[in-house]
Amino acid sequence: MADVPAGRLPKPQMRGLLISHLKRHGAIALVFSMGVTLAYKLAVADPRKRHYEEFYKNYDVKREFEAMKEAGIFNCARPSWEQAEED
Amino acid sequence: MATPAQLGLMDAASPVMEEMIYFHDHVMLVLILITCLIFYSMLVLISSKYIYRFLTDGHVIETVWTVIPAIILVVVALPSLKLLYLTDELDNPQLTIKSVGHQWYWSYEYTDYYDIEFDSYMLPLGDLSKGDARLLEVDNRVVLPVDTSVRVLVTAADVIHSWTVPSLGLKMDAVPGRLNQLALQCSRVGTFYGQCSEICGANHSFMPIVIEAVPVEVFEGWCDMMLDEESLGSLNMKR
Repeated sequence: MADVPAGRLPKPQMRGLLISHLKRHGAIALVFSMGVTLAYKLAVADPRKRHYEEFYKNYDVKREFEAMKEAGIFNCARPSWEQAEED
Repeated sequence: MATPAQLGLMDAASPVMEEMIYFHDHVMLVLILITCLIFYSMLVLISSKYIYRFLTDGHVIETVWTVIPAIILVVVALPSLKLLYLTDELDNPQLTIKSVGHQWYWSYEYTDYYDIEFDSYMLPLGDLSKGDARLLEVDNRVVLPVDTSVRVLVTAADVIHSWTVPSLGLKMDAVPGRLNQLALQCSRVGTFYGQCSEICGANHSFMPIVIEAVPVEVFEGWCDMMLDEESLGSLNMKR
């Protein structure tokens, strides 16, 4: 009996285990889902908007048209090398 | 056009389609939030050993999970309605063309300044050149000026068809006896493909749409070419 320690263990939670479990994991679920959502926004949605902005910032219609024309994309404007061949 | 095994939307070629892509990203955020929440909840509930057999109701949680979905629906609905009205906006169109669906081809009319009409049939397999897309190429393409507000009047001559160009965010039913209006604006040059989107008979899958967006000067040159008497016979045109 002399070697029983004087301190006590903390009293374990006796009631409301399910509710406290749900509250804790409900908060974790919210943080986790909002984190994944933010990651999608930062990794996919915002870069896509920036990509479109940058594409049209210095978009040169004539330069792009000439490049596509020479590649033979259009029917209404044939490439210069095709007309040279015909000549 | 779409590339093989493509899952996402096509790259936008018009301001409206760009807004549709941004709206799709917005709705995906909501879906990811809900999916992650449900997925984690399922994991936790399946692995939990706690049971409370006298649990009958929870007024606070029931209020929360009624109000929050209503808020989520409003967050989705407001941008959706804004986009819906944006697609209907027609900002002083500089050109009007008519698209008429037939079994099984499209015919186009440019009657604003000139009287240009032509039919647009799918190119059969044997007539394709190297690099052409199967079931998507046509003999006479719709040529339009880039960065120009265009009104497209869509109708049909026989059964219901649907004039669709996904990269421009366009789809409108072609109903006989009815004129439907579309607002079109190409932001960049290029060729944009679409297919009939309303079942219309045996060759429903074989009446595609091809738009060539070109600078205004090239468009005017094309109009002059179309009006040239010598090309009338080869283009199945009417005057």
